[in-house]
Amino acid sequence: MRKDYEKLFTHLKPAEPPAGLFDKIILAIKREQELQHTRRLLFGFLFLLVVSFITTPISWTILVNQIEGSGISYFISTAVSDFGTFTAMWQDFGLAILESMPITGMLVFTISLGVSIFTLRLFLHRKRLLLEYLMYSFA
Amino acid sequence: MKTYTDEQLIADYLEGDEKALEALIKRYLKPIYSFVYRFAGDAQVVEDITQEIFVKVWRNLKKFDQSKRFKPWIFTIAKNTCLDWQKKKRAVPFSVLDNEGELSFVETIKDPTLLPNELLERQDIIATLNKALENLSSKYRMVLFLRYNDHFNFREIAEVLGESINTVKSRHRRALILLKKLLTEL
Repeated sequence: MRKDYEKLFTHLKPAEPPAGLFDKIILAIKREQELQHTRRLLFGFLFLLVVSFITTPISWTILVNQIEGSGISYFISTAVSDFGTFTAMWQDFGLAILESMPITGMLVFTISLGVSIFTLRLFLHRKRLLLEYLMYSFA
Repeated sequence: MKTYTDEQLIADYLEGDEKALEALIKRYLKPIYSFVYRFAGDAQVVEDITQEIFVKVWRNLKKFDQSKRFKPWIFTIAKNTCLDWQKKKRAVPFSVLDNEGELSFVETIKDPTLLPNELLERQDIIATLNKALENLSSKYRMVLFLRYNDHFNFREIAEVLGESINTVKSRHRRALILLKKLLTEL
């Protein structure tokens, strides 16, 4: 029975896909790949933007507080006001300044500043792509 | 030349071989196009739907369970995309023969699905068959095409249509009865 019907159905000519359809499909997939890539880039950019917006002021406050509490400003002002003593005892001064440096605050601030600069750089480099994607999405 | 299975091609593509995806698309372009053509008919629409199906396949390829067979999976995507298109179009194909319950009297005939030999020898068989298939509802047409044109077994048809294997078997039987009836009437 199955063979009979299979024979019957062989009479039907299967519809032939048009010549350019394969290329159109490949192109559509490539376009979709690019869209996906841009979407990931946009989400990455937005994430970094939010992170840098939050962390930069906080890390700056931490750094300022640590500088104020460390006494580094006292050593520096002494070195500036009494330059003769500073040059005579520069090794002790240097060590004292190094010891009082707010390492944690500086590290946190440097990292968050780095993230902010990277975010800005990312935007400047890909602004056209990102803006085009946003316009395309909200159009 | 070595022939790769669908599953091998998918594995190769997921490992970064873009050519494997192209080979997979080439392999399924004709059957999928033909499948969509039965559904939509209009060449431009068929082209758009086919394109959409392959983009969907690409998008979901990472989620594809490689322990399963690819053929029913791609046809399921094709069927769902066609149904989505049909919903958008809001033109559900009408057929007076759509009601499965009305067929009980035909089913009482002894072996009603056997095709008479003379039918296959008719000169106008293509036109008759096309006309008969046009008069069948899409769900019956789909089962018949999947079975006799795309050479699916009942389990695979059930997978594609998202129905139980018994439903598919009974729908197949009803479809054959209707087809035979239409072919002999035309």
